[in-house]
Amino acid sequence: MNCPEGPQRYIASEPPERAGWRSGRVNRLALSTLRHVARRGSSFVVLLSLLVGAQGSATNAPEDFEFFESEVRPILVNYCYGCHSNIARSVRSDFRLDSRASLLKGGTRGPAVVPGKPEESLLIEAIRRESLEMPPSGPNERLNGAQIAVLTKWVEMGAPWPEVSESALRSGEGRYDWETAREHWAWQPIQKVSPPPVRKKKKVRNPIDQFVVDGLRKAGLKQPKPALAAVFVRRAFFDLIGMPPTPDELEHWVVALDATRKGNLNDDAVAQLIDALLERPQYGERWGRLWLDLVRYSDTGGWSQDNGSFPNAWRYRDWVVDALNSDMPYNEFVRHQIAGDTIDREASIGTGFFALGPSYSSDGGDPVATAQAKSETLDDRVDTFSRTFLGLTMACARCHDHKFDPIPIQDYYSIAGIFNNSKGGETPLVGAEVVREYQEVRRPINELRVKVRDVRQTAGKEKRPVSDEEQMQIEAWQAESDKLDEESPPKYAFVHTLSDTGGEDMRVAVRGNLMKPGQVAPRRFLRLIEGKEREHFTEGSGRRQLADAVVDPGNPLTARVIVNRIWMNHFGRALVRTPSNFGTLGEKPTHPELLDWLASTFMESGWSIKSLHRTIMMSATYRSSSAFDERAFSADGDNRSIWRMNARRMDVETWRDSLLAVTNELDVSLGGPPVENIVDSNRRTLYASVSRNDPYITDEFLRLFDFPIPRASSAKRTSSVIPQQFLFMMNSSFMLDRARALGQRLQEESGTQEGQIRQGYHLLYGRQPSERELETAARFLAGDMPTESGPDRWQQYCQVLLSANEFMYIR
Amino acid sequence: MSHHRPSPPISRRDALRKIGSGFGNLGLAGLIAGTAPEAHGVLPSAAPLAPKAPHFAPKAKHVIQLFMPGGPSQVDTFDYKPLIAKHAGERPAIVDKKSLRNTKNGLLPSPWGFKQYGECGKWVSDIFPHTAECVDDICFIHSMHTDIPEHAGAILKFNLGHLQPSRPSLGSWLCYGLGTENQNLPGFVAMSPKAQPRGKAANWGNAFLPGAYSGVYANIASMEPGSILRDLKNQHLSRTEQRHQADLLAELNRFDLERQQQDQKLESSIQAMEMAFRMQFAVPEVFDTVDESKSTHELYGESDFAKGCLIARRLVERGVRMVQLSHSVSGYDIAWDTGHGDILHHETLARTCDQGIAALLKDLKQRGLLDETLVIWGGEFGRAPTSEGKMGRDHDHYGFTVWMAGGGVKPGYTHGATDEFGCSAVENPVHVHDMHATILHLMGLDHERLTYRYSGRDFRLTDVHGHVVHDIIA
Repeated sequence: MNCPEGPQRYIASEPPERAGWRSGRVNRLALSTLRHVARRGSSFVVLLSLLVGAQGSATNAPEDFEFFESEVRPILVNYCYGCHSNIARSVRSDFRLDSRASLLKGGTRGPAVVPGKPEESLLIEAIRRESLEMPPSGPNERLNGAQIAVLTKWVEMGAPWPEVSESALRSGEGRYDWETAREHWAWQPIQKVSPPPVRKKKKVRNPIDQFVVDGLRKAGLKQPKPALAAVFVRRAFFDLIGMPPTPDELEHWVVALDATRKGNLNDDAVAQLIDALLERPQYGERWGRLWLDLVRYSDTGGWSQDNGSFPNAWRYRDWVVDALNSDMPYNEFVRHQIAGDTIDREASIGTGFFALGPSYSSDGGDPVATAQAKSETLDDRVDTFSRTFLGLTMACARCHDHKFDPIPIQDYYSIAGIFNNSKGGETPLVGAEVVREYQEVRRPINELRVKVRDVRQTAGKEKRPVSDEEQMQIEAWQAESDKLDEESPPKYAFVHTLSDTGGEDMRVAVRGNLMKPGQVAPRRFLRLIEGKEREHFTEGSGRRQLADAVVDPGNPLTARVIVNRIWMNHFGRALVRTPSNFGTLGEKPTHPELLDWLASTFMESGWSIKSLHRTIMMSATYRSSSAFDERAFSADGDNRSIWRMNARRMDVETWRDSLLAVTNELDVSLGGPPVENIVDSNRRTLYASVSRNDPYITDEFLRLFDFPIPRASSAKRTSSVIPQQFLFMMNSSFMLDRARALGQRLQEESGTQEGQIRQGYHLLYGRQPSERELETAARFLAGDMPTESGPDRWQQYCQVLLSANEFMYIR
Repeated sequence: MSHHRPSPPISRRDALRKIGSGFGNLGLAGLIAGTAPEAHGVLPSAAPLAPKAPHFAPKAKHVIQLFMPGGPSQVDTFDYKPLIAKHAGERPAIVDKKSLRNTKNGLLPSPWGFKQYGECGKWVSDIFPHTAECVDDICFIHSMHTDIPEHAGAILKFNLGHLQPSRPSLGSWLCYGLGTENQNLPGFVAMSPKAQPRGKAANWGNAFLPGAYSGVYANIASMEPGSILRDLKNQHLSRTEQRHQADLLAELNRFDLERQQQDQKLESSIQAMEMAFRMQFAVPEVFDTVDESKSTHELYGESDFAKGCLIARRLVERGVRMVQLSHSVSGYDIAWDTGHGDILHHETLARTCDQGIAALLKDLKQRGLLDETLVIWGGEFGRAPTSEGKMGRDHDHYGFTVWMAGGGVKPGYTHGATDEFGCSAVENPVHVHDMHATILHLMGLDHERLTYRYSGRDFRLTDVHGHVVHDIIA
């Protein structure tokens, strides 16, 4: 990992002899495969000698460690680590060979090595196949004479092993000046600040406006005018439910909002509109999708090394939608996703947050590849966890202490250790009886399949082809199992969840390399938040305790991070414009007091997201017009002071859903399994089958319009304008179909051409066309009809209305 | 958001003044990538794919990667090791390495003869007779090595410098760093005659870079110019009719622009639409090779791969930054892996690509394009000199061969060496990261400065690794 250049804040100066190992140049050696160590020359050994501490094997000379690194470790890595190390899926005989201490301690059969005495060492006996036979036959087979000689010599030498020293790691306790580090705004406690007084009370709807108006005044800018009622209604619809109002709804709300007729919108009507929209199930669909970006939600794994299959991922997606619709308090929402399995079955669905993440594996069992894969998987868990809930880039501390934020490498492995004791699996949503019945039905099918496999394996072992007789038998068994399979009922409902597998602390992986375990990192929360003395998480994996720590009201990050995200999705720009990085390299809030006021109000409301929507949307700030202002623009082109509402280009979900909505084709049924080809479907875009890799038609379509690749948590969509989007708009059958449907709808609703155009503008843009626009339309429609059977001029015109920028912007 | 020096935030007005020609030309090239997730509120560069200045004078302007997924055997192609035959069946300590399948057999001599070619006298296997004619233009790197002997990870390592598919590909980095020269064509085109290489879209993906930098996969399977890109062709309207419709859309968008006082990406979207309009005709034109002379067609020959080679030349000729052409002869996504069971399959594979490769080199040279185009040939790793089964070879990531031609590398040159049996890189080893650093260097980019801030970190193609192999640079 290359880390940003910049001042190393908070970091006490390093002793010169250690300065080198943190630089990329040396990491390069350490991170790459151990097998190349010998060839890469002596710098690695030099590096190691810097790291070697007393507790390894103090009496050995540097050459001994060189011998270990060049001759011994490669053998251990290649032949033993598969079953006996921290990268092993399950450690055999409780015996590990990845540190000197574990070798001396040994496994169920006692110590493996007696330093200096090969004849008394179980390890040597085993590789000589005198008592135990190791490595067992199978993929690793036996060691050759030279290799046995190397290990024997090594034990004779006293089993030199360069342990990583305490002082080399120092893991945080001494590296940061914690007092100074704590001064960063985001680690400070949340303070409920009283909103500043303002002079023109008339234009203030709630405390949000007091903060914003105060800021505008200081910047010498004016408070913006309110948006027109029709613009506001459309904005509220798109924001809360991701769809436009129907013409009837638009008219109804415009009348209700404009009741005062003084330019200001009627407060009661605004409140009613917000409540009405929050009550719709489409609200959860819209905001659930925004959450799923953070979750890097996918219906399938990423193929090749990320083979996870998640046929029921959609149940987690629906759970998110339901949780938002029922306004589940955010602290509960978080708790369920980190540790729902410790609450109850229903809550366990939330742990799909982690269970549906990429789980990398190696495709050939090579130890280096296996370790790398495991390390990447844990990185996904820590990264998604820390960025989503805490706005922290903890993954920066995977190979070394975080260079900018006070997150020591040990804290990374404290959290990674929690996920190292958790694994993904299935939780049935039905009673044990149903599961048993299903297993009964499946049993004969599985037995037949095992029989087939056994016959094939036997033939393989005997290095002969399957005989004709066996082949006939196999085919008969296969036919039978296929028949049973077809007759058997579909599998019961289940969800992909996380469960605990153990409760062991993990060791720091030195420079991110799991094959080089360092100090133990007790499972616990971050020092940056909880201080030096912290609770050791010992209940199972520790996830429940982790969840408690995250939503503890004293944690200054969780509430700030979520209110900032909600704000961003209402305004297009967040108060902290790096919504998943509140660290020192992130942006400072544009309105720090407002952020804190929102966060504390949010917690006081019982962490109610719906109540937060109401507070934000009731403000005059949210009701502002997006009109351009030359003077304000030149003073604050980035709109940090919120001198107007930001106009936003729709995301792909809102755009596609709106296209189907205005043509009266949108299928608003809720939930269920994903739709493989969303381009051919009329369901909401939320229900598209999302994948991490393959360019299915659905993925290709979504990514054309900036849908994030769900390999990692995405805090904010990019918004690209690329030519291929216009190829889709002008040439795709999807757009041609919508144009046809819109044309028909308009023709049904009005008898004259002008009436149809007017209705089109009302339906699509929420306004009436100008004279110029009517003329342009008339001129186009009077043009030559196409000679072939393609779309006629009217359909072409409708396609243009749907492809126009105005349709794609929320203002 | 870029590797260039951070510039202070500029107001739109400043931006307009700097561009100097008012609203009409803002976002002239028409492509607007969004601000990066954590970009700092600076106006996005008007055109992410517009040509950008490199860090220093480049040797090459384009890259054509001829990717051989599955791992071609070095000792049966370009890394001549006569000693293998002498010690056939033996297993000297130097080759007694753990392979993926842990094969324990002895040395297997190459079933093919080798001959010397060119002024440089390079030994080349009989299965690559055409490429052999070009050795005086080629720079061989025999000392490549990579991290693991597994396809999926090693393929990604080769194409994005990382074992997992979570990083941007080489071509995406190049487009991010340099933009591209022809705004009517994508900057990075990936293609393959039959099967996408293992890992599929990740091999040309943008990962966390803005979407504009993603490689575009061109479907050359059917060689149907109209279906190279999805929705490229309008099925119903004539070009004139399309023009009328596009004009109408542009007009409505211009009305909107006036109403909104030019303050969003509206102008750039008008330009992007114009570019889409032109792409509809520019793209099929590149992929339709009817205008090539008879002698050119004869030079390349008939294979699907050769057609890809010809299109690669046409793409770089028109300014495309990078082309990744992956070999495949069937639906199998790691074609060269058939070497496990029987190394003789290599002959079939070579036959389907050899003439096309040589034709590409000759054609580029003849047109004066070879100097500015870096051609790279190779797979994700090599194959062991020892046997697997009777006639197969297991994976070998300790040493393998990649060759480059044109684009500022030394012609008729050999860099590094494997041991006497061709198993491991022993002389001047070149890791995949070093290869990437060198490719970026040849393109005028410093691999340590080409960074992208994402998720609180500055990412690089070479991560924290990589050294430029100055030795191979002419």
